[in-house]
Amino acid sequence: MIETRLGEFEEVILLFVGILGEGAYAFKIAEEFERQTGRAISIGATHSTLDRLEKKGFLKSAMGEATAERGGRRKRIFTITALGKRVLKESRDFRMSLWNQYPALSGKINIA
Amino acid sequence: MKQRNTTPPRIAQKLLLRFLRADLAEEVLGDLDEKFYQSLKEKHPFRAKANYWFQVLNYARPFAIRRSTRNLTHYDMYQTYFKIGWRNLLRQKMYSIIKIGGFAFGIAVCLLISLYIKDELSYDQNLINHQRVFRIYAEFEDNGTVQRDTWWHAPFASTLKIDYPEVEDAARINAVPLFGAGSKEFRRAEIPDNSYDDGFVYADASILKLLEIPMVYGSTEALNAPKTIVLSRRKAEKYFPHENPIGKLVVLNNDDKNPFTVAGVMEDRPSNSHFQYDFLITLKNFEFWPGEGTSWCCTNYQTYVLLKPDTDPRAFQEKVTRGTIQKYILPQLIKDGVPNPEELLKKAQLGLQPIADIHLDSHIKDGLSHADRKTILIFGGIALFVLVIACINFINLSTAKSANRAREVGIRKVVGSVRQDLIQQFLTESMIVSLLAFLLGLLLAALLMPSFNTLVAKSLSIPYFDWHALAIFVLAIFGVGLVAGLYPSFFLSHFKPIEVMKGSLSKGSKGSNLRGALVVFQFTISIVLIVGTLVISQQMNFVLNQKIGFVKDQVLILQGTGTLDKQIESFKNELKDLPSVQSVTVSDYLPVKGTKRNGNTFRNKDTQKEERGIFGQNWVVDVDYVKTMGMQLVAGRNFDERIASDSAGAIINQAMARQLNLSDPVGKVITNGREYTVLGVVEDFHFETMRQNVEPLMMRLGKSASMMAIKLQSPHMTQAIDEITGKWNKFSPHQPIRYSFLDESYAAMYDDVHRTRQIFTAFSLVAIAIACLGLFALSAFMIEQRTKEIGIRLVLGASVTSVFRLLTFNFLLLVFISIIVATPIAWYLMSRWLQDFAYRVELSAGVFVLAGLSAVAVALGTVGYQSWRAGLMRPVESLRSE
Repeated sequence: MIETRLGEFEEVILLFVGILGEGAYAFKIAEEFERQTGRAISIGATHSTLDRLEKKGFLKSAMGEATAERGGRRKRIFTITALGKRVLKESRDFRMSLWNQYPALSGKINIA
Repeated sequence: MKQRNTTPPRIAQKLLLRFLRADLAEEVLGDLDEKFYQSLKEKHPFRAKANYWFQVLNYARPFAIRRSTRNLTHYDMYQTYFKIGWRNLLRQKMYSIIKIGGFAFGIAVCLLISLYIKDELSYDQNLINHQRVFRIYAEFEDNGTVQRDTWWHAPFASTLKIDYPEVEDAARINAVPLFGAGSKEFRRAEIPDNSYDDGFVYADASILKLLEIPMVYGSTEALNAPKTIVLSRRKAEKYFPHENPIGKLVVLNNDDKNPFTVAGVMEDRPSNSHFQYDFLITLKNFEFWPGEGTSWCCTNYQTYVLLKPDTDPRAFQEKVTRGTIQKYILPQLIKDGVPNPEELLKKAQLGLQPIADIHLDSHIKDGLSHADRKTILIFGGIALFVLVIACINFINLSTAKSANRAREVGIRKVVGSVRQDLIQQFLTESMIVSLLAFLLGLLLAALLMPSFNTLVAKSLSIPYFDWHALAIFVLAIFGVGLVAGLYPSFFLSHFKPIEVMKGSLSKGSKGSNLRGALVVFQFTISIVLIVGTLVISQQMNFVLNQKIGFVKDQVLILQGTGTLDKQIESFKNELKDLPSVQSVTVSDYLPVKGTKRNGNTFRNKDTQKEERGIFGQNWVVDVDYVKTMGMQLVAGRNFDERIASDSAGAIINQAMARQLNLSDPVGKVITNGREYTVLGVVEDFHFETMRQNVEPLMMRLGKSASMMAIKLQSPHMTQAIDEITGKWNKFSPHQPIRYSFLDESYAAMYDDVHRTRQIFTAFSLVAIAIACLGLFALSAFMIEQRTKEIGIRLVLGASVTSVFRLLTFNFLLLVFISIIVATPIAWYLMSRWLQDFAYRVELSAGVFVLAGLSAVAVALGTVGYQSWRAGLMRPVESLRSE
């Protein structure tokens, strides 16, 4: 059985796929993740998450073009499916509604 | 160089491709390359490579690993075999427990004994040169019996080195207590208090190199200076804690004037070496008496040689025999005036004993304790038997239970299983049982290890991390699984489906002959072991209660009295005055092991020119000896201190009188070089173990003062000890009192017999327990098979007793057959064992009757209980389903 819920890490990876668009493949995503979060992550871990997200139907993938620095090998480009987008949106809405219910902080999102 | 540095590590790539799903290879390798070249820009190539490795290892994730490519059908089949086997075990809990438990028990026993045997066989094998190091022994025929001993003359070792180019090195040791080896008082020169210690030996300097003794401090040349001593690590730690003792002075036996210098510390001797000493005192420039070094009179040294490589020991042995006898021994005998020396020496020979054989050869006298090959053989036999019994149980239960699985076999065959598959299936099952049993056995062995160690007086441990042992263990799991499963698997797989389906296969009847034979076999072994246990116990009691010629009870042995020196007489007199003391004697020669011995050749003075002389003991005692030891004078009188000529008098034992052909010994003169007039004859008393006949013995007056024997008044034991301790502390404030009891020392001489008895008892219990388990399960099964028959019999009016008789009769018959088979075997084995003792019990029929009866009782107990229950059951229970 495939789980259809979205984990926190999965959500971030999914967002990165969206951000990177045409350039969303495992190495790039891992690099972007490291750059923006400052946390180290292996390509294998990223790939495994991407694979899981694809099985859940939030992503689809196709082989892209080859480049020289990859030794002439092609890369696998991931794109978000409609389901993936909906899940992302639901997740954001859910959080927003939680934030709005939090009286001390409603209105000012930046947390010190 | 640079070029090579900039490519991703090859091995990592290969590894990745080995486990990665093939369809992922392209993209993953690409990603990793990209990562690698990127990090190469910022980091050192080494870091980049390390990162590549990290990335590769991080791909070892379930999603990325390729699926097994193994043959699926095969794999699945084994899976079901396992499942079915496991279910079968669970379904029949009692049988499974007996099967596996009995097996595990057998394995544990077998494992423990193998470790023991391995240890016994490993003695002195770890020397690099162990094939070239020999101990030299002498072999001579004495009145038809061949005697072998290891005692040599002081100059022997050095002549070997000079006379024979084959000898690379030779060394002697003197381990004779008469010369002070064994135990001594020991202290550091600057400390006044003596400590008693054990394990002293006098040795040539080269012994360290010859026996390859590893040193902690100092070199193997350490003993090459006069007045030096080498300590073992543990003794150095005891007397010189946390310091390097080299150069320190130590004092032996309180002899302040002759201190020794510590010249080295050797590693503690490994427990599997015959050479067990803690203090080596150098023989460099040292003689026990002037002229000893060149004298061929006396034999007190054990001599080791290291032969040059490629020397044929046998040829060397011949050469050295002829050489030594002609050159040294014959002239000495002629000088001593021994009649017919050539004739005598014809029967003498030198022998080379490989160092690794020393521990196992008990027929060469050397004063050490040995494991004899016979015991090891018996042990091995027991281990094998116990394992065989356990295997038999397994086979028995499997075939007996087979009828229940006949239908399964039938169905399997009908749906297409071939015989090979079935054999495989049943072998798999027996492998599961074997594996479980081995694991359980290992656990059991670990639990039993401490008690086993006390039993055999060793410190063994299970070699968990020895890959050698591990390999044997794994092989054994498969081997035993195979052997134990072979018969059942072939037996089960040969069923014809049609017969099974029709139900014409009579349940469990096939193979009942074999089962009977196996039960007989088990019980035969058990009965033999019971007989063995009984006979050993009898012999033990016989030895301990034998009339021994002296009174061993209530005699206190006080040790270390040599340091009292001149005060010993006054100390003795003060002790004598104590009301709790009957009498006191000062002598190092006591009729128990571990006290001094001094062997001489004796002749009758009148006939000394014609006779060869006999070998006997020359003991130094005082006037109170005979009284204190409670010995009986059969002729003549005791020593008398008021008669001055008694210092040249002697008291001999009956054996001496007999062997010197003295029919009326009192007043005769005997000689061992010096002449003694016989004053009296004591009844023979045992001063060695009863394995030997009582040797001739002579006692003469003199001073040998390191031991005292004190006969106490019976009702005041503890009080007497308190008083004696008080006196001791007054006389010798710097040395703690050390005493033992004569009867305990006497019993200690039979420790080995005692141990053999315990071991036999333990093993016969194990064997019987396993045999009983098997019988229990087998009879339970038989009765289960005949439940309906019994039900019908009961309905038709059979009584409980008749059912009982019906069910037990067959089993008892088997036990009777076992008794008939076992009796001659046990008789033969035990008479062989008893031959070792000069004084022994006779094998009586009672032992065999008792063993047989106990076997019957045990069998009746196991089978009878179940038969009785079967007879008492209500027929309705078994018949209602019909």
